Parts: sequence; C-alpha cells; structure tokens
Amino acid sequence: MSSTFYWIGGLVSFHPGETIAAALRRADVEDFGLTTGGLRARYFCGVGACQACLISVNGASPVEACLTPAKAGLQLSSATPLSEVRHHV
Amino acid sequence: MYEPDVLVIGGGPAGVAAATELAMLGLTVLLAEQRDRLGGAIHRAYAGPGKNPLKVLSRHSNNWKFLTQRLLQAGPQITTLFETIYLGVDGEGRFLLDQRAAGRVVSVRPKALVLALGALEIVLPRPGWELPGVTTVGGMQVQLKETGQAPVGSILLAGNGPLPLALAAQLTAAGNPPVAVLERSQPFRAAFRHAVSAVNSLRSWGNVSEAAGYTLRLWRAGVPYQTGSTVTAIEAGPQGLRVTSQLANGVSRQHQVRHLALHDGLASNNRGLPAGDLAHVYVVRAGDCREVLGAGGALTDGRRAAHQVAQHLDLSAKPASFESRLGAARRTQQALAVLGQAPAMVPVSETVICRCEGLRRADFEALQGASSTREVRLVGRFGMGLCQGRFCARAVQAMAAQAPLPFETGDLGSSQPRWPLRPVSVASLAAYKSI
Repeated sequence: MSSTFYWIGGLVSFHPGETIAAALRRADVEDFGLTTGGLRARYFCGVGACQACLISVNGASPVEACLTPAKAGLQLSSATPLSEVRHHV
Repeated sequence: MYEPDVLVIGGGPAGVAAATELAMLGLTVLLAEQRDRLGGAIHRAYAGPGKNPLKVLSRHSNNWKFLTQRLLQAGPQITTLFETIYLGVDGEGRFLLDQRAAGRVVSVRPKALVLALGALEIVLPRPGWELPGVTTVGGMQVQLKETGQAPVGSILLAGNGPLPLALAAQLTAAGNPPVAVLERSQPFRAAFRHAVSAVNSLRSWGNVSEAAGYTLRLWRAGVPYQTGSTVTAIEAGPQGLRVTSQLANGVSRQHQVRHLALHDGLASNNRGLPAGDLAHVYVVRAGDCREVLGAGGALTDGRRAAHQVAQHLDLSAKPASFESRLGAARRTQQALAVLGQAPAMVPVSETVICRCEGLRRADFEALQGASSTREVRLVGRFGMGLCQGRFCARAVQAMAAQAPLPFETGDLGSSQPRWPLRPVSVASLAAYKSI
C-alpha cells in the first residue's frame, strides 16, 4: 500500500517506513531549493551529518530529509534561509 | 525523574551492542537513535513493498540477528528513544536530547555516556561536488538498501577505497550497473610494492569472499574499474552531470551521467565530541566513532565499551578481552589503507570548500593575512556552517598548511566541543523538560 505527501504542492507517493529523501529520489526530485551561499539544497551523505538535505515539514524549522520518516499528508517545502530570500522593493 | 545508568547515543551495531551488553551486565540503558528504527547505515532496513529484492550478505544479517535477539532478551532494561538527536552537554552536566517527533528537548543525567556515532565519509572537494545529483557512495548505498531500487538513469562511482566497488556490485545486482568505477589509487601496483599489506588484507575470509564476489559480479556485467583515475570537474547540464576525470598520465575523459557518487575513505564521526569525561560523567566512544574498524569491528567494540563502562562503575567481575578480534579488524583496515593510498588533490580556485556556506578556495585565499585559527573561523566562516566542519575541516587544514599562515593549522581541524552539535528548533528548546 502506498501513501502520499506534498512536495511544494505536488503529490509524491511513498512506502511506509521510507525517509522523505528516499521517496523524493524515487520521484526524481534532486534539487531541494535555494540554500545558504547561493547553493542548492540536496541529498548527499544519507546519515544526517552533512546537513545538505534540510527541508521544512509543515512550515516548521528545518530537518534532514534523509532522517525524517515520510508520513501521509505532510506539506514539504524548501528550507531556504531568510538570509537568502531576496526582497524586491 | 528517570535516571538510566548509561546513556547510549547511536543505534547502529556499536550502540546496540553496547546497550545490550550493558543490560546483560545488569545496568539500565537509555538508547537514543536519530532515525525511527535501529540498525545504522550498515543495517539500514528495507522499507519497500513486499520482500526485499536485494540480497544481504549473510555475515551482516547474522550480526543484526544476533543484536536483535539480544535486544529482546534485554527487555525493559533498555529504553529506546527514536527520532532523537543528541545535541551535546550543557554547562551543568545535563545531556540534551532533541525528541523531534514530540517537538521538545529533554535532558538526562546518566552515570556514564557511550557515544556510538559511526563513521563519516571523506569526500575531497572538487569543482561541482556541491551539485544536486552528486551524493556520497554511502549515501547512495543506504537509499539502495532502504528502497531496494537503484537510482534510475546512468550512474558513475568515483573516489577511493573498497566502498565504491561494493556499491557498484550492489547496483549491478539491483539491475542498474554503474557506467564505470573510477579509483584514484592504484591498488594492484601497491600490492606488488607492499606485499605484507596485500597478504594482511587477504587474512580476513569475510572480506576476501565479499571482495571476490563483487569483482566477479562487476566483471560479468562488464563494468569498467579504472584505477589511477581522479574526477577533476563536475558540471550540471540539461542532460544531467558532465564529469571530467583525469588519469595519472594526464589523459582526461568525460562521462555524461544522471548520478555521481563520490567517496574518499572513512573517518570517525567525532567532530565536536568531548576528549574526556564530561561534568563528572564517564564518557566512552564505541565503534567507528572511536576507530574505523568496519561493521564486525563495530559490534565487538560496542561490547568492549560496555565492559569498560561496567568496570568504571565497579560492576564487571571479570574484564572481558576483545583485543584479539579488534586487532584483526585493525590489521585489515590498515592493509586496505596502504593498498588504497592515493595522491593528494589540490582544489582549484572556484572549488566550493565549505558546502554549508558556499565558500570557495578563492574565499580562503582572501584570508591570507589571518593571524589565528579563530580569525579563519569567525571572519572566513570556514568550519562554522551547519555541518560544523565535518566535511570541510580536512580540506581547510590542508590548504592552511600550504599557505604561510602564522599559526598551528592543526587547530582548524580539531574538536571544539560546543553544543548544539545539530540544528534544533527554538520551539523545541522552549518546550524543554528533564526526564
């Protein structure tokens, strides 16, 4: 049986017990959005050490996609830090 | 207030071996694991539908069966906290744990602490190693174990050591062999020069049969294993990644792939950890986090750490010796290190060094006037990002050693215990309570 969560509004299916990062990889999502230093957030080490795969779950503060279990109905988005958000006046 | 005798951080083979051995020695244990299940990277569980399509090596599955059996025997003597991140210790000796699922930080005061945080993959900076689609070899391997599926599209593996070969064989078994495995060192040449190491690397039957199985599978699948080849540049394009590699004789070639996995060896995941006891609490490191000895070695070392703790608490009647088994694992690792010795890599000016803050070699060069480690860190921001230098400190130290900087560059890579070791939300800190 498969369930779904939302990645920036789009539906992504996952198998219960999978991490968010594994489900995103199977859905071919590799770029997790803008992050510090002008780089892109992305999956890298898989064990919570490199902090490159930070994402936001239900709008909360960042967590590692490689550690966080996927759950049905989660609203996931990039965890772009405020310092990288450009405001146009 | 709940006060376990021992707090064990990390639910891989070393942590579970330590926790279960401590329980057998009559101690109560709080075991904290960052994921929602135990096993660590080596025993990462399959989470796909139906039966696991991939075969797990029997010596690994036997190790894990042994540990899960012991967990059952330990029963309520071990309390396991899942999705719980170790943040560090505060000035008053409280060990802080972030219970992510509950959204709160809790603290605990054990009599002893066992740190079993595993290994960290070394990946040397190359232009483009920060791009999406580039992972560590271990990172690709844990996802393969978890999903039972190889990534879709062409894959290139590159770097140094036995792990890329192992992953290549596993990807082949999963139906998507890599286009090539590029190895920086020249292990066959090294085997002639260092015959003792070659013999030592063959002394562990488990490793030999494993390596032979991998090699056979790759040979049958026609996967090229190119030695003396270094990835020098990675560029992103509409078709995926364009990877440039170079042979020792200067000849370069390109691979157009969807995925690239890099690996330049393993190191202890020990950054920021205390050197000795903390706030009168006895601290012991176990497994790869103390010394990289492989999966079997980690299990043995976890048990050893438990006896070390028990002895300190005056509980162990007869000190058990694990030295001969650890020594054998050490000889294998040292022999593999000699055979895999690869030339140093010098990052070019545009290479990202600090992946957390996007700092390049050119940013480091601009710090040439720096007069202290502190200045490199506070002004340059090197080693100050979210990973706390786990992935850049080695390269920063190497660059500093080449530059005429007037201070001990070793300090750049050294541990400076500070918490939190990992990001924590302010809301969780505000919900803090002791347990």
